[in-house]
Amino acid sequence: MRTYIPIFFTVLLLSGLHACFYSDSLMYEVEPVPGDPPILSVSTNLDTLHNPPVNDSLEVIYQAVVEGGEFYYVYADVVNTLIFESDSSYGSFWIDSVLADSSGVDTLYMEFYYSSNTNSLADKVNYEARTEILKYAIDFNLGGTK
Amino acid sequence: MRKRIIYSIALAVLLVSAQNSLGQDWGLTFSAGVASSQMNDLKYLQEHILSTYPVEGKITSSFPPFTSASITMFKQLYDHIRIGGGYSYSTTGGKSSYADYSGDISTEMNATSHRLGAYLSYLVLGGDRLDLSLNGSLEANLTSLSLQSYYEILNYSNGISNNYRSLSPSVSAGGELMYTLKKISLGMEAGYLVDLKGDLKDTDDGDPLVDPNDTERVLSSDWTGWYVQLKALIWLKL
Repeated sequence: MRTYIPIFFTVLLLSGLHACFYSDSLMYEVEPVPGDPPILSVSTNLDTLHNPPVNDSLEVIYQAVVEGGEFYYVYADVVNTLIFESDSSYGSFWIDSVLADSSGVDTLYMEFYYSSNTNSLADKVNYEARTEILKYAIDFNLGGTK
Repeated sequence: MRKRIIYSIALAVLLVSAQNSLGQDWGLTFSAGVASSQMNDLKYLQEHILSTYPVEGKITSSFPPFTSASITMFKQLYDHIRIGGGYSYSTTGGKSSYADYSGDISTEMNATSHRLGAYLSYLVLGGDRLDLSLNGSLEANLTSLSLQSYYEILNYSNGISNNYRSLSPSVSAGGELMYTLKKISLGMEAGYLVDLKGDLKDTDDGDPLVDPNDTERVLSSDWTGWYVQLKALIWLKL
């Protein structure tokens, strides 16, 4: 019986050790209430053109307006190459004909990032965004250059 | 001031010189229980940190009463008086946090108090088994505070950790009720501790932890509060 008493006290002591160090594992969990989703409207100089040709180069002018939100970023890529990035909602860039290996119609992708208005932590620090991708068919005409 | 010191030394010499002719017993006490603390400056800092969150977080704990323990070795000087020294430990902390599907952010503060000092007890009521005593102690109080902030948002995570320390004198007074069983006594004690507050300084560079709204003011730890402990006393024949 006597041998069990020290064991009992040792176990009692060890079981109380965690109480010697203050800790609080509780997290304040929140389900964010989203606001109205922002409305993005984009206009470019390619909107009214059908398969605009890229003879030597082609200038693309864009303007993005976010209603009820914030504009973050725009990326443009063509022929699997990133050709432009900006955090400005208004701007322009050039598509150079040297990007393409051969003549023909390719696609210009423009990705617009803007606020999500989900009111989440990521939204508040501008880490969370809505995306809208616009596609434009462009015609590389390399006859004169290659 | 000098007179006071002389009187104190004279009293100590009288007590020590009388000890051999009186009680011979030494004793060891172990106490464990709960202690509260004011920590007003750290609660204030916690509120300030919460206000810097980009979202509406919440303080989930703010320096609640938590574990307190002590060990004391004493000598029975007279029938009614015990004198000795010991070590005491208290801990508490606070946390503010926010979590949603996109990530979480939290700030944790953990404070511990290590106290070393002198102990004096006076037996008010003594029976065959039950003893009621008043006791007090004067201690040097070393506080360690760790402050950790951390966030994880989508794929990004980052954190910061700082450690602070303070030193302050503290005084406590209380009462204890003990039930004697041969060489061991069991009981409880309760009392109030007054901490004279210590300025918190960074352990790495010694910089003071200042009030974010008034950089002239240094924040301090404050362990002032009540305590309740279960107590065991073992008599030693030395």
